[in-house]
Amino acid sequence: MLEHGGQLRAAAARYGIPLADWLDLSTGINPIPFTPPPVPPEAWSRLPEEHDSLEEAAANYYGTQNIFPVAGTQAAIQALPRLRKPCRVGVPHPGYAEHAHAWRGAGHEVKELCADEIAAQLCNLDVLVLMQPNNPTGGLFASENLLHWHEELSARGGWLIVDEAFIEASAAQSLVQAAMPQGLIVLRSMGKFFGLAGARAGFAAAHAALLANLREALGPWCVAGPARHVARAALLDRAWQQAAKIRLRRDGQRLAQLLRDADLPPTGGCGLFQWVQTESAQIMHQRLAQCGILTRYFAEPSSLRFGLPCCETDWLRLAAALDQEMVCTP
Amino acid sequence: MLSTALTIVCAVLLDRLLGEPRRFHPLAAFGHYANWLEGRMNAGSAWRLRGLLAWALALVPCWLLAFLWWELPVLRIFIDVLILYFALGMQSLREHAQRIRLALQAGDLALARMRVGEIVSRDTSQLNEEAVARAGVESVLENGNDAVFGALFWFAVLGAPGALLYRLANTLDAMWGYRTPRFFYFGWAAARLDDVLNFIPARLTAMTYALLGNTQHALHCWRQQAGAWASPNAGPVMASGAGSLCVQLGGAAHYHGVCEARPLLGAGDPPVAADLARAVTLVQRGVWLWLAMLLLLGALRA
Repeated sequence: MLEHGGQLRAAAARYGIPLADWLDLSTGINPIPFTPPPVPPEAWSRLPEEHDSLEEAAANYYGTQNIFPVAGTQAAIQALPRLRKPCRVGVPHPGYAEHAHAWRGAGHEVKELCADEIAAQLCNLDVLVLMQPNNPTGGLFASENLLHWHEELSARGGWLIVDEAFIEASAAQSLVQAAMPQGLIVLRSMGKFFGLAGARAGFAAAHAALLANLREALGPWCVAGPARHVARAALLDRAWQQAAKIRLRRDGQRLAQLLRDADLPPTGGCGLFQWVQTESAQIMHQRLAQCGILTRYFAEPSSLRFGLPCCETDWLRLAAALDQEMVCTP
Repeated sequence: MLSTALTIVCAVLLDRLLGEPRRFHPLAAFGHYANWLEGRMNAGSAWRLRGLLAWALALVPCWLLAFLWWELPVLRIFIDVLILYFALGMQSLREHAQRIRLALQAGDLALARMRVGEIVSRDTSQLNEEAVARAGVESVLENGNDAVFGALFWFAVLGAPGALLYRLANTLDAMWGYRTPRFFYFGWAAARLDDVLNFIPARLTAMTYALLGNTQHALHCWRQQAGAWASPNAGPVMASGAGSLCVQLGGAAHYHGVCEARPLLGAGDPPVAADLARAVTLVQRGVWLWLAMLLLLGALRA
């Protein structure tokens, strides 16, 4: 299994700092999540049923009926490669590693591509996987490019898969359309913007026939009853969504400014994280960890990803830790 | 006249059985076309004239297409039924109202807000139960005119091309007829032409609502309250409908982020979930009344 952010227990053991004293900035998860409503007992005791109005709420929120709930987008990431015969797959580098891992594991030929290589390499691909915005670089693709690539791939039976996990925290337009065309698959997460990573709830939007195959591959009761209940409530709460979007835009800018002030200008980012490419990433990562602040370190390219601090104390703590002159205490 | 009445019976039954076309809705295609036109034409000067021209460019091709088909004698009866079926939205109105009512009755306010948000243009994210029910009942009464009686009226007068013209003009009004900066001038023609096409149907609808409920109440509300409503046609329809059902509608609502003070309509208690079903029943009875009248007229003429 691949390493990810959010592994606080391992860090606590390694640096000898108690779990409760950590400031975890190693994920891009909204630190002020949607507050889940009480879960009715039936959600635990009954088998989850489809069309309990979760699908309806999702159709309304995402703007398409062609949408299917999955146990986190990870479930779709793992299942999609098994819906195709071995083929040539392009994945972005740097980028979220689970995509490449899943396609390789299912026997496909995987090519890692930089953002500016994609256009030239498209003719050698059957499937192209992208993240909009990219994780961790925060890079965005123009919608026209994506639609153009989709057209080219789908014309020869290929797929464009766009992982829009962080899109609510960016300025990008979603590629989800009311009638999803053949060969376009969009993944949406409840873990990042809504901050419900533990619920393991996400969605795949695609043409109805492909969704039927995905449903078949994942089997019945893919998303747990309590997760369905909480996800539904989050999708319906427009007032929370509006407020969260405004706050994330503000906090994202604040984090970028804080890093610039600390001489770590972000290379890219979005409302939920900032990405800093620097030669000293590993040293910075360790230094911050010694202060009880967990960031996400990437060796290739040497870089750090910072998630959003939550409360004012956390902001001050990060600012203090970034200030080289200060002696920090975990 | 008898064949008109029989065509209407077929279309009404088809609408009841099939509801809104799910896979391919011609109005959705028309909507894309209208959006495309708006993107090209809503710019520069002489906005009102551009709006009028866009309205004509949107309607004329569709109307001609329908008319050409309609001229083919063998197909005529099928085309008649099909076009009226597309113009009618009774079943969809019933389904929407029922979904809102069920969510309200289950105490699921968030779901009810979302469902009512699908049929009204106001901001529904902060509505309470009463406001959801009010928005829903208002929408049922108004759509009783737009999606049912208006289409039936123009079908009875001009045949299938009439119903089509009415439905498309109504769609354009729903897309462009707003007093927002973007549509203030451009949407003027769409809004005014819709007002013209709705002038008689709205009054017939108001009359229908009055006849099939608390008539005295309805006529009183129509006379006293309709004039104060911003829209000249929705005023009589909603005032009469609210009076007929003995509920209180209107009052302040948020549109496009702006709070709009609206006069009160009707009389009696604020609406509750069950009033959504009552409003649908009122419209449905109106349809039977209209059919009976048309059949009677047809039989008398024959």
